[in-house]
Amino acid sequence: MKISFNINGQLQSLEIEDSNTPLLWVVRDILDLKGTKFGCGKAACGACTLHVDGEAIRSCSYAVKFAEGKNIVTIEGLGNRENPHPVQQAWIEHVVPQCGYCQPGFMMATAALLAKKPNPTDEDIDNNIVNVCRCATYTRMRKAIHRAAELTSNKIG
Amino acid sequence: MSKNKTTSRRKFLVRGGIGTLGVLAIGTYVFRNPLRRKTLSIAETLIPPYNGSGTKANLWFEITTDNQVILHSSKVEMGQGTFTGLAQMAADELDVAIEQIQVIGAASATGIVDGLSTGGSLSIASLWVPLREMAATMREMVKGEAEKKMGVAKSELTTKNGVVSGGGKTMTYAEVAEGVTEWEVPSTPDLRPVSHYKFVGKPIPRVDLEAKVFGDPIFGMDAEMPGMLHACVIRPESIGATFKSADISKAEGMDGVVKVIETEDWVGVVAKTFSQALAAKRAIKVTWDIPKIWTEADIREMLKVGKGNKMITQKTGAALDPEDAEVVSIEFSSPIGAHAQLEPNGAVAHVEGDKATVILSTQVVGITQKQVAKALGIGTENVNIIPTYLGGGFGRRLNTGHAVVAARMSKEVGQPVKYFFTRKEEFQNDTFRPPTHHVMRGKLNADGYLDSIEHHYASGDVAINSVLLPKIASTILGTDFGAMRGANIMYEKIANHRSEQWHTTLPFATSWWRSLGLLANTFAIESFIDEMAIKAGKSPVDFRLQVLGTEGNQARIRKVIEVAAEASGYTDQVVDNRAMGIAASIDAGSPCAQVVEVSIVDNKIKVHKVTCAFDCGIAVNPNQVRAQCEGSIMMGISAVLYEQMTLKDGQLFPTIYGPYEMALMRDAPSEIDIHLIQGSDVPLPVGEPPLGPIGAAIGNAVRRLTGKRVGDLPMRI
Amino acid sequence: MNKIRLLYIIPVILFASILLATNYNDDHNSGTNTEEPNTAKENTSTEDFDQMMSALTHPRCVNCHPSDNKPKQGMEAHPHYFGVERGSDDQGFVVTNCKTCHQKENNDFSGVPGAPHWGLAPASMNWEGLTRTEIATSMMDKSRNGGKTPKEILKHLTEDPLVLWAWNPGIDAAGNPREKPPISKEAYIAAVKGWFEAGAIIPAE
Repeated sequence: MKISFNINGQLQSLEIEDSNTPLLWVVRDILDLKGTKFGCGKAACGACTLHVDGEAIRSCSYAVKFAEGKNIVTIEGLGNRENPHPVQQAWIEHVVPQCGYCQPGFMMATAALLAKKPNPTDEDIDNNIVNVCRCATYTRMRKAIHRAAELTSNKIG
Repeated sequence: MSKNKTTSRRKFLVRGGIGTLGVLAIGTYVFRNPLRRKTLSIAETLIPPYNGSGTKANLWFEITTDNQVILHSSKVEMGQGTFTGLAQMAADELDVAIEQIQVIGAASATGIVDGLSTGGSLSIASLWVPLREMAATMREMVKGEAEKKMGVAKSELTTKNGVVSGGGKTMTYAEVAEGVTEWEVPSTPDLRPVSHYKFVGKPIPRVDLEAKVFGDPIFGMDAEMPGMLHACVIRPESIGATFKSADISKAEGMDGVVKVIETEDWVGVVAKTFSQALAAKRAIKVTWDIPKIWTEADIREMLKVGKGNKMITQKTGAALDPEDAEVVSIEFSSPIGAHAQLEPNGAVAHVEGDKATVILSTQVVGITQKQVAKALGIGTENVNIIPTYLGGGFGRRLNTGHAVVAARMSKEVGQPVKYFFTRKEEFQNDTFRPPTHHVMRGKLNADGYLDSIEHHYASGDVAINSVLLPKIASTILGTDFGAMRGANIMYEKIANHRSEQWHTTLPFATSWWRSLGLLANTFAIESFIDEMAIKAGKSPVDFRLQVLGTEGNQARIRKVIEVAAEASGYTDQVVDNRAMGIAASIDAGSPCAQVVEVSIVDNKIKVHKVTCAFDCGIAVNPNQVRAQCEGSIMMGISAVLYEQMTLKDGQLFPTIYGPYEMALMRDAPSEIDIHLIQGSDVPLPVGEPPLGPIGAAIGNAVRRLTGKRVGDLPMRI
Repeated sequence: MNKIRLLYIIPVILFASILLATNYNDDHNSGTNTEEPNTAKENTSTEDFDQMMSALTHPRCVNCHPSDNKPKQGMEAHPHYFGVERGSDDQGFVVTNCKTCHQKENNDFSGVPGAPHWGLAPASMNWEGLTRTEIATSMMDKSRNGGKTPKEILKHLTEDPLVLWAWNPGIDAAGNPREKPPISKEAYIAAVKGWFEAGAIIPAE
């Protein structure tokens, strides 16, 4: 089955045998974008979070057939060293990552949150950022999220 | 442990030629007088010496054509900041900028093979002297060669940012090293005073920060080899089950399946994609031989004070008479704990003839190399283990025998195979933190301070049966020294104090989990001490200080308690429905005290603030030390308030995040206030010690808030 | 949510008169109408009601008709993991919402259930903890059921893919099939139709 979508600004047209293949494996193994992670495969940990048409989606539980015609962004497309996303900038300022494995999922969820709620309260953060971090960097993440909100509003305002 | 070779020769070898990295010169180092160092360091700091293959030529540093330095680290990076700390230590003696150092995990074929492990919070502490000595020696070697090439006396030469200067001339290290095949080896120079360092002691941003923020493919799960196939494995789900037979007929014909492999212990499916392998795995029906359906009650019955192998681990003064009416006795327990690290275990392996290459996240490069070599019947020199960044270690990857499974599958299909665990396999094939049971006993003296205290504790394997130790070690040691961590009473002035271990091996694997016995042992001891303070009508701060000595480690423990109490404004009183709790511990030479502020919200324990005083000696990177404190505290909160593995239908359960409850963002305290104290002039363990006090601190706060002493973890009110 | 409301207003006007004329007559016999139900044996209205309610009180249905803000999961109806809640639009929170994990089909890889427009029933349609009579009364009450007429309720109950998902609930995270309601989908649809045709009579408790 042929599936086409836009990912990180590039149009991709892929021939995929099983259209129920989770988007996660297409992104990681066919498109070779390793930033989106496999943590559980059960939509429980959030390490596979990416954006589909601006929505935070757990790609381990999203059949690639649903990606037809959509706009997908992964951590590699969120920002880069030359042009980091405010979330990435804040993550760097606060030196958030420890092992780093869960971090892309958290950054993608955070970026989606800030796009819809530029000034999230701590309660907004508690409700919306529910990924699992075993190194438990939550305290720094919270500070980085508020900082990213600041950086975002500085960019706009 | 390292062999007793009493060599005092220093040997530098150079591998000439230009490799893929544009390598010009390679430095290697052999330890001077390993025996003497071993004896001294154990005596002083309880830190075992670095267990590198100290008598073979090993690769540590490379200077590249573009004047960068590659540090081949024998210690892996699993989030604890080791790569950064080592880079700082090396940069300060080698005289390069921190940006010029690139740290990579040493592959066994080219670099140091750590015969033991990355763990025990020992990476920085054990390499503190050796790594700096190597870097300093290398700097002097570069100057020695520069003297010849620049025609300037060595005494006139200075080094900075990878450049040698003197007599109006400059030369980069790369230029100095060019074409050199034989180096003059100077005596190891004196190390500089720590106060002179530019990087050590400063909060340098992590060297792997950008890679982790921009999603670089650095983990074991991200590894690839050309022509790689994907594999899944079926393992027993029931405890004690053995493989009897499998119906693989349907799976063999499924889309993309290359081979289904049956062995004595497992069935593996190799396919073109991971989803295909997973779908085929589901189509395989395995028949297991299940001798017994284990229950939670079975485990609790086996694992009790009074059952199993007994060993006195500490003994000062007289034993208590349990019949004495003045003796207070309280029981505590902790559950089976899962590692639950986010990156599943797995490996990418390629076996070609009598050579094998395995890329994986591991804490035990050397041991894995031996395991693979043995399984394939080839020499260890033909097995190259390439360690990647770990998506969490916490002790889980101190046993990565699954590298053997990947290698065997690769051998079967004649192509590279990428195999990793599903999350269910992770939860059912963990090397769990063992459950524990504790009986604390104590008695007050006439002044209302502790006269006697005893800690009787039962635990499953931590050190015993680990691949890190030869089998004979258990017999010789008698004690599980992993379960013993934090079990001894640290208050020297309590006239009678002792600890006694009861050890049982459980029917499922238990082993090292960050801080080992420290979390549960400190929970029991420090909760009990608090209870006795309440009984005596005394402040728990004063109650503890009264029975601490004034010298050495006693003084350091005293200090962290005082700092934590002061900084938090510790009070016994409940204020605005909030209460405080204090606890302290010392682990591997690093004392830590914590005060928590807790309230009860919706019938649940809510931690609002944690104040932490921590003494790890020299903080090589204070920001990373803080990060380790924050992480340990939060991981501790998760373990003591939420986490619990159990047994269901003879299987370990649950097998997914969610049902295995863990702390999330909403559960994090809004403030963690960390005070670092330098009570020693060397760096001491950091990664695990701060896990000690958190459980008891919360329990003690809950006690004051509710009047109830919670003895069982995870805490419920 | 507003779109759905709009869709119902138009048919309401059309069907109101028909319903008033035919559906609330106690003497009306089931089985004498034009459409025969698909069952071999004809049920009484009470039997149809019992069968219908045996499905509607099953966790597969009640889990998304909670009486608080928390969707429920599993046969034991525990609160949805990870603190997922109703949010402001029955779809979860602004960024972590139903669509983050649930799509319009079950996902066999993850064990996450899915159906078109996955989400909670509005708060007015709370069923958790209610008796069968209370649920049925609520269901027929226009002020609580989203303004639905009986014909619309009938259509929702027998044709909405989210409702019928209960008979295709997929497998859970452990790979185990989820339990379906105690009667087959066909028997359920027949019971619902039979009950409505007989006048949608809610038996006394």
